Amino acid sequence: MPFGLIWHNLRRHWLRSALTIGSLGIALFLITALRALVNSLEAGVRGAAGNRIVVGSDVSLWVQLPTSYQAKIAQIEGVEKLIKWQWFGAYYQTSADLFAQWAVDKDVLFDVYPEMKLVAGSMDEFLVRRDACLVGIELAKTYGWKPGDTIPLLGNTYPRADGGAWQFYCAGVYEARLPVDNRSMFFDYAYLEQAGEAGETMYWPGCMLYVARTAEGADQEAVIQAIDRLYENGPYKTKTQPESEFNRQFVTMVGNIPALMAAIGGAVSFAIVMAALNTMLMAARERTRDLGIMKALGFTDGTAFALMLVESFAIAAAGGLIGVGTALATESAIAFQLSANLFPGYEITPDMIMGAVAAAIAIGLVAGIVPAWRASRLRAVEAIRAGA
Amino acid sequence: MPSPIIQVHGVTKQYQRGGETLTVLDKLDLEMAEGGYYALMGPSGSGKTTLLNLIGGLDHADSGELIVAGEDLTSLNGNDLAAWRAETVGFVFQGFNLLPVLTAVKNVELPLLLTPLSARQRREQALRALELVGLADRANHRPKQLSGGQEQRVAIARALATDPKIILADEPTGDLDRVSAGQVLDLLGRLNEEFKKTILMVTHDPIAAARSRSIVHLDKGKLGSIEHNRPLETAAARS
Repeated sequence: MPFGLIWHNLRRHWLRSALTIGSLGIALFLITALRALVNSLEAGVRGAAGNRIVVGSDVSLWVQLPTSYQAKIAQIEGVEKLIKWQWFGAYYQTSADLFAQWAVDKDVLFDVYPEMKLVAGSMDEFLVRRDACLVGIELAKTYGWKPGDTIPLLGNTYPRADGGAWQFYCAGVYEARLPVDNRSMFFDYAYLEQAGEAGETMYWPGCMLYVARTAEGADQEAVIQAIDRLYENGPYKTKTQPESEFNRQFVTMVGNIPALMAAIGGAVSFAIVMAALNTMLMAARERTRDLGIMKALGFTDGTAFALMLVESFAIAAAGGLIGVGTALATESAIAFQLSANLFPGYEITPDMIMGAVAAAIAIGLVAGIVPAWRASRLRAVEAIRAGA
Repeated sequence: MPSPIIQVHGVTKQYQRGGETLTVLDKLDLEMAEGGYYALMGPSGSGKTTLLNLIGGLDHADSGELIVAGEDLTSLNGNDLAAWRAETVGFVFQGFNLLPVLTAVKNVELPLLLTPLSARQRREQALRALELVGLADRANHRPKQLSGGQEQRVAIARALATDPKIILADEPTGDLDRVSAGQVLDLLGRLNEEFKKTILMVTHDPIAAARSRSIVHLDKGKLGSIEHNRPLETAAARS
């Protein structure tokens, strides 16, 4: 089999080959990245715990609930542990280094989220020091943070009155599974509250969410209704939901992203397959005379078939390599950006890579089978005459 | 007469054109001797190229018997016929028909890919063939970097590379100027005389035909006449 000929043929119109390979690479990158993105968007739903409920404002996620609600909610039967979540919205060094920081009730953090484990540092220090924080393992890797480090953050939501940076002491590094993101930072809500009360920042005693862990055997629906009934007629009406439902609504808040992604991915892939098919058909037409000559020299129909198909596979494989390579190379950066926008869990998994490889094989096959079949059916005499 | 290497017995070939049946070869009987150098002449449509293609195993006869180099071509299927072509015949076409993406030596190596030779052996054999046609110094040139005459000589080297018994040439000088055509004809003559290749050449050119040992005239798909025993030495002396 003259495989060297395939390389020479690809180089014959190198720009066209490069553009086809490049477009296939982009398509396969998009397919892989969109799958990872959809996965990321749905990760919160999949990872949600059955015994957690989320209390937020009925108006919007970005309308805060007063901290005074905490004591009343905690008293409701079935609520075992309760934690505040407040978005801190600061950045590290430059505004591009944005990641999620949460002011929480640190003493119950690991109780409400047993999926979190401390992998480095000291829990005691986290609980004792006012300025202590825990950072996710991925975040720590990104910035090279370790226990004992000081982490200065510049506030966006809570800028300091003196214009300086907030100083956090890294007490430890945690590792968690979704829905808790490994690229977040947690610190004590009291630190923010005290700074606010001391006039160091603009502060209103509120929080974005309360998350309650319900007691074993508790009627979750009854707990939800009891909480919402409390503030039915108040100025800050609540909306309480199971964690999985909250996470699902959080995703759909920005539209039906998974369906949109699937539609975009499908359309892009289809267009690219058509382009690749067109390229292969053009290549086959150009090869008509060459294939006729080869058949006259004694090459079989099967060789002609294989040459065209392997050429198509070579283009698809190169595109696949570029696509998967790009997806892997950009994984960390995309994951970081998505995490900063509250969509953790972006990850290129082995099955996504296998999916991209399968897509590349399918594209190679679909784009190559017709030209290959035509090549095998060519009659040497007519092919030479047609190409003369 | 030496034993026939090409035996055409009652061969008929028809084509369908616009609803009509066109008989290109009509129960043709012909024998050609091993080591012969035949020029196949006749007016357009007389069946010259069709006969060449049938003898080269590029096409199938509708009826009749066609035995070439001891093989009954009518009994071979597509793959067997391809293998037989690779081993037995070398083709030289009017339009040179080199693969444009390959260098001269790679073009010559192409049919050798069908042999069990190693890459090194293929390279050496291809270079020897190029040397024979006087183009060893152009081995790494691509077809577009060669003149028409040089391209045709590379095509002859390719036809020779597998050391076939028969060389089939379809108007090999048709696209060449007089000087280049003379060089190609010299080469074909040498292949016949020194290397004992049987050569069958389709041509319209009486000067080219005069360089052969025998001229076969076809007319309307039938054998017209054969002019035998034109000694090659005589033809060479005319050039």
